[in-house]
Amino acid sequence: MFERFTREARAVVTDAQIVARSLHSPAIDTRHVVIALTESGGTTARALRSSGLAPGTIASAVRREISGDSGLDREALASLGIDLDAVRETADATFSDGAFDAATRRHGRGGHLPFTRDAKKCLELALREAVRLRSKDISAGHLLLGVLRDPRSPGARALSAAGTDLPTLRATLEEAA
Amino acid sequence: MNSTLATTAAGDDPRAGLRAVRSLRELADRLESLQVERARDLGWSWQDIADALGVSRQAVHKKHRRP
Repeated sequence: MFERFTREARAVVTDAQIVARSLHSPAIDTRHVVIALTESGGTTARALRSSGLAPGTIASAVRREISGDSGLDREALASLGIDLDAVRETADATFSDGAFDAATRRHGRGGHLPFTRDAKKCLELALREAVRLRSKDISAGHLLLGVLRDPRSPGARALSAAGTDLPTLRATLEEAA
Repeated sequence: MNSTLATTAAGDDPRAGLRAVRSLRELADRLESLQVERARDLGWSWQDIADALGVSRQAVHKKHRRP
């Protein structure tokens, strides 16, 4: 299947891996794919812009959502009298700048990050979208259509939560494809 | 106000309480990995670190040894 990916689509898949690593995520899901797509420029970024939001704004919102999954809840800690920002500041002063956010559990480090079931499905759906739209290649636009095909996917939900109008986005992508 | 703030982790809403517990665990894990790494850099043995953490040498070694 990957041999049918355009150069741009391949770069998106590679970038999703880099995004997941930078956010210390245990696996790549469709939200990482969405961030990679918004930051790739090109046709998908233009389509996202036409659906109402700057790609950079979407990327930041989705990144924030993923960071919120880390299990560190500022408000929950505040309820116990712990000031997360103060802990981070102290740790960074002792160890190094950014040390606290970079610190993760030791297990599962290194090597390739796996794709979640949701992300694998999105690659299959991208293939199906390409076939449906009579394209011999799978482009970045097909990847985004693959994310949108399942409205319950984390990527589609995150796009929606960031304020993207999904039907408009889908129509724009289909037109461009 | 303070009484509502202070009761979350020990409070009666399981969702809020569990979230607070998870946050504490994540916080402790991060600080542990930073402290263990530093202790190793300063030449501490796995046994010294294990004693300080109150766990077995095997446990700390398995968790923090670099691949």
